[in-house]
Amino acid sequence: MKQWKSIAGILLIPILCFLLTGCDGLTAQPADTSAEGFSLRNIPAYSGKAYVELNNNIPYFEDSEYTTQSFESYGDLDALGRCTAAYACVGIDTMPTEKRGSIGAVKPTGWHTVKYDNVDGSYLYNRCHLIGYQLTAENDNRQNLITGTRYLNVEGMLPFENMVADYVKETRYHVLYRVTPIFQGDHLLADGVEMEAFSVEDSGEGICFHIYAYNVQPGIEIDYATGDSKITDEAAANTKRDYVLNTKNKKFHLPDCRMAEQISEKNKEVKKSTAKELREQGYQACGICISY
Amino acid sequence: MTIAICLDDDNGILFNGRRQSRDRVLINDLINSAAADQMIWIHPYSLPLFQEFADRVRVDEDYLHRAADTDICFVEREKLSGMQDRIDGWIVYRWNRRYPSDNKLTTELDGYRKTAERDFAGSSHERITREEYSR
Repeated sequence: MKQWKSIAGILLIPILCFLLTGCDGLTAQPADTSAEGFSLRNIPAYSGKAYVELNNNIPYFEDSEYTTQSFESYGDLDALGRCTAAYACVGIDTMPTEKRGSIGAVKPTGWHTVKYDNVDGSYLYNRCHLIGYQLTAENDNRQNLITGTRYLNVEGMLPFENMVADYVKETRYHVLYRVTPIFQGDHLLADGVEMEAFSVEDSGEGICFHIYAYNVQPGIEIDYATGDSKITDEAAANTKRDYVLNTKNKKFHLPDCRMAEQISEKNKEVKKSTAKELREQGYQACGICISY
Repeated sequence: MTIAICLDDDNGILFNGRRQSRDRVLINDLINSAAADQMIWIHPYSLPLFQEFADRVRVDEDYLHRAADTDICFVEREKLSGMQDRIDGWIVYRWNRRYPSDNKLTTELDGYRKTAERDFAGSSHERITREEYSR
């Protein structure tokens, strides 16, 4: 594994532009570097789709970068310890020959071990490989792991990794592949990742994409400066969980609420439900333990 | 006619004008399951997948309209909405994987019932499911 050149400017504003339209052609086009450049300000706010397309789905690789020689390189961590970019020419020889090992010892910037009932698998954050293990078999490389939401990992990045992996396995061709985390200012958590890929031997006929995947989690508010998070009021009200009901005064509480402890056993009921459903049944939320 | 099509877990077909995936064993399965006198029609875009079977396929830009009622059309890029009257059955191959997609099958299978289903291992896919539908 050789070290890739430092990607100065990634965290400021690298020279990229994007257009939110489809790409009809099957051949590589020269990168359009004449526009103002990539900026989070140009990315539309997340609106329910895990990714948006950039630059007509055409990556910004230069002609001189196309090679049928497999390689992989991972940018240096920056002064804040954040990943920069991971770049590879993925081939059948870069793919894993054994199952992935543990990566739990790595704590990327912004990392918090935090669980929510409304997140698939409960854990909000995953250690997200910039270049997926199935492509370059990098296990616990700190220069290839960022803190990403479950949603980014599974809905945003994985489908693209799958497409590239299966293409390489089937054709034995190579795919130039780059993933760049995009951080705002000195934030520890990336706002999202830019993903570029282009199949070399068939000039992009098989694989050609350039997208930005959002590091968001529906129903969770995230502070990107630190990685702190909390469930949104709307999501909290709609998430099924255990509540303690006072069947006499028609109030409902969280199980650890001190008011719940004071309910007499004959008036107490523990029920798995949503706050919304309980309100529809005539209950009122406890003003001490429930803010949603 | 019968439509043969490949779908991911989101009923996706294409992303950015390109097929989501490919598998040699799947193409073999389609060829081998067709009756000897049943022609398989494809668009020129699909030809690279069928190079070994040039004598079994007919390639035409307008293949959906040229195919006979008893033929199979392997569809990758063409829209099928509005063609239900001509489609007697479907062969659906499911990748059992999630890929990105910007072109999906939506309601086209409505009105058809599944008549057969089986799994097989592909050359690069762990498990591909073949489903057959008829009216």
